[in-house]
Amino acid sequence: MNDTKIIVDCPVLAFDTLGAEIHSMRLHCPEIAKSARPGQFVNLKVGTEFAPMLRRPFSVCRRDRLEGWFEVMWKVIGQGTRAMSRLRPGDSVSVIGPLGRGYIQPADLKLAVLVGGGIGVAALPLLCEDFQQAGIEVEVFLGARNGDELALSGYFKDTGASVVLATEDGSIGTRGLITAPLLERLAALTKPANTHLFSCGPHGFLKAMVQITEETGVAGQIAIETMMGCGFGICVGCAVRCRNPRPDKKKYKLACLDGPVFDAQEIVLDD
Amino acid sequence: MTNLSVKIGALSLKNPVLVASGTFGYGQESHALTNLSALGGIITKSVTLKPRHGNPPPRIFELPAGMLNSIGLANVGLDAFIRDKLPFLRTVDTTLIVNIAGSSPEEFAAVIERLNDEPGIAAYELNFSCPNVKEGGLGFSQNAGVTGDVTAMARKLSKRPLIVKLTPNVTSISDIARAAADSGADAVSLINTLVGLAVNVESRRPQIFAGTAGYSGPGIKPVALAKVFEVAQKVDIPIIGIGGISNTQDALEFLITGATAIEVGTANFVDPATGESIVAGLVQYCQRHNLHSVQEELVGSLAMWQELE
Ligand SMILES: Cc1cc2nc3c(=O)[nH]c(=O)nc-3n(C[C@H](O)[C@H](O)[C@H](O)COP(=O)(O)OP(=O)(O)OC[C@H]3O[C@@H](n4cnc5c(N)ncnc54)[C@H](O)[C@@H]3O)c2cc1C
Ligand SMILES: Cc1cc2nc3c(=O)[nH]c(=O)nc-3n(C[C@H](O)[C@H](O)[C@H](O)COP(=O)(O)O)c2cc1C
Ligand code: FES
Repeated sequence: MNDTKIIVDCPVLAFDTLGAEIHSMRLHCPEIAKSARPGQFVNLKVGTEFAPMLRRPFSVCRRDRLEGWFEVMWKVIGQGTRAMSRLRPGDSVSVIGPLGRGYIQPADLKLAVLVGGGIGVAALPLLCEDFQQAGIEVEVFLGARNGDELALSGYFKDTGASVVLATEDGSIGTRGLITAPLLERLAALTKPANTHLFSCGPHGFLKAMVQITEETGVAGQIAIETMMGCGFGICVGCAVRCRNPRPDKKKYKLACLDGPVFDAQEIVLDD
Repeated sequence: MTNLSVKIGALSLKNPVLVASGTFGYGQESHALTNLSALGGIITKSVTLKPRHGNPPPRIFELPAGMLNSIGLANVGLDAFIRDKLPFLRTVDTTLIVNIAGSSPEEFAAVIERLNDEPGIAAYELNFSCPNVKEGGLGFSQNAGVTGDVTAMARKLSKRPLIVKLTPNVTSISDIARAAADSGADAVSLINTLVGLAVNVESRRPQIFAGTAGYSGPGIKPVALAKVFEVAQKVDIPIIGIGGISNTQDALEFLITGATAIEVGTANFVDPATGESIVAGLVQYCQRHNLHSVQEELVGSLAMWQELE
C-alpha cells in the first residue's frame, strides 16, 4: 500500500456544535481530502501542551476533494476532545494522516449494510459515498444513546440510502438498541452472500456486531477504537489480539497499521 | 559556522541528536513525516534473536506529562530485521545504531556475532534495562557485576563501538555505569524508563496488562538529568542523555549537563520530526551564543553556583 501520510498544520475552516458534547470541524488540507479512504483516520494535536501529550485519533468523516477540506466529528469525553471543542475557525490543528487501513470492498458486494454505534457513525459517510458511486446499494443503521449522536442521519437520508434509527431513550427512531432492527433486516435478506456489514462504534457495540456476523452468516468488518501512542506504527502500543489459530502464528495485530478496520472474525475484542 | 559533530569514542555523529530505541520503529515508518538524514543517528527498536510477540494489551496508558508502556520488546527478530528492515536503514544518510536485547548473555552474543557481518551499522546499543520483560531485561543492568560481565563478553565479540543503556531503577546508577566503562563500553546511554503503575479505579485493575510498566516522556526529564549529572561526575566515558526530551531547550539541558549526545524518545509519537527540529534549534542556539563546536564548548559546560565568600 502506498504511504500517503503527511504531517501538517491545518487551519480550521468551520466549527459546528451538533448536540450536547458533539462537535464537528472542517480542516483545510487538500492532500488528505484527496487521499483519505473510508475507514482511515487522522491523528490530531491541539497546541503543544503535555496535558494531554499524545495525539488523538479521529475518523475522516467527510471530505471535499475539490475544495480541499475534510471533517472530523467527535464526542467530548476527556481532556483532548475538550481542547478540540474550544477551537474556532482560523485556529490551527496539527494533523498526521491519513492513517491506517480502511474498509475493504469485497469483490461481489451488492448490498452494503453500514452500522454505526454512537459517534462511530463518523467513520461511515466516506464509505457510503464510495459504494453509491460504485453502484452498490447502501442501507444505514444507526444506534445511539440519544438523538444528539444521530446528527449525521440527515446526511445519509440525503444520499438516498435507506436509514434506520434507534435510540436508547426513544427520542428518535425505535427505542432500544439498533441490533434488533438490524437482525430483522438481515433475516429477510435474499442474497446474504452478496451482503456485507460495515460497522464502527464502541466496544460493546462491536462485540454485538461480531456476534451478529456469526449468527447470521453475513460477513462483516469492524472499525475499532483503541488507545494509540502514535498512530503510525512506531510505538507498538495499539496491539489487538488475533483469533487463533493463525497460519502465520501472529499473536497480535496493530490497530493503527493493520486496522483500525478488521474482519469481524479476525481479532478478539477483550472485555 | 557551528560544528555540530560529536565523537563518542570511535563513533562519529554529524550532530548529537539521535532517536531512542522503541520510539522510532525501524525508521521507515517516519520516512514520510520527517527528513531522516537530518538526524545524527537512528537507534532501532530492540532486536532480539527470535521474534517476540510482546505483551498482551493494554500496553500503553497516557499520564500527565508522559505515558506508561509495557510493550514487552515486541520485535520482528534478528532474521527479519536483517532481511526486511536493514536494507531501508542503510539507504538513510545517517548513523545507524542497532539496539540489542536478550534474556541471556548467549542471546546477546548470538545477535552481535550475526550483526558483525552486516554492513551499514555503526554501533550497538545494549539494552540491559528493559523493565517489561520477565527474564533478563532489568536484571542485567540492576547488577554491576552482571553488567560488567555481559559488557566484557560483548566487547570481545563486537567489531563495533558499544553503548550500554542503563536503567534508572537502581540505587546507584553510577556504580553500574562504572562497571560498564571498566568492561570496555564506549559509552553509556541513560535513562531507560522509570518503573511506574497506574490503576483504573472503576475496574480496580492496573491500566496496563502487565501491571507495572515504564514511565517515559516530559515528566521524567528532571530525573534523567540528575542521573546524567551523577554519571558525568563519576565516570569518564561519554554519556548519551535520554528522558523526556521534546525540544531544543530539553536537548541543551542534557548537553550542558554532560551528555555528548541525546536521544529523543516519546516525543516522536507526537511529532516524529522532533529530532530534526532540535538539530535546527541547536544551530540557532550555537549561533546566538557564538559557539563553534558543540562537543568542545557546550557538552558538560554546566557551571555550578558558587557561594560568595
Ligand atoms: C481509529 C480511531 C478513530 C476514532 N474516531 C473517532 C471519531 O471519529 N469521533 C470520536 O468522537 N471519537 C473517535 N475515536 C475515539 C477518540 O479518539 C477518543 O474519544 C479520544 O481519543 C478521547 O480523548 P480525550 O483526551 O478526550 O479522552 P481521555 O482523557 O483520553 O479519556 C477519557 C476517558 O475515556 C477513556 N477512553 C479514551 N479513549 C477511549 C476509547 N477510544 N474508547 C473507550 N474509552 C476511551 C479513557 O480511558 C478515559 O477513562 C476514535 C478512536 C480511534 C482509535
Ligand atoms: C513505547 C516505548 C517503547 C520502548 N522500547 C524500547 C526498546 O525496545 N528498547 C530500549 O532500549 N528502550 C525502549 N524504550 C525506552 C526509550 O528508548 C527511552 O529510553 C525512554 O522512553 C526514555 O526517553 P523518553 O522519555 O524521551 O521517551 C521504549 C520507550 C517507549 C515509550
Ligand atoms: S499507535 Fe503506535 S503503533 Fe499503533
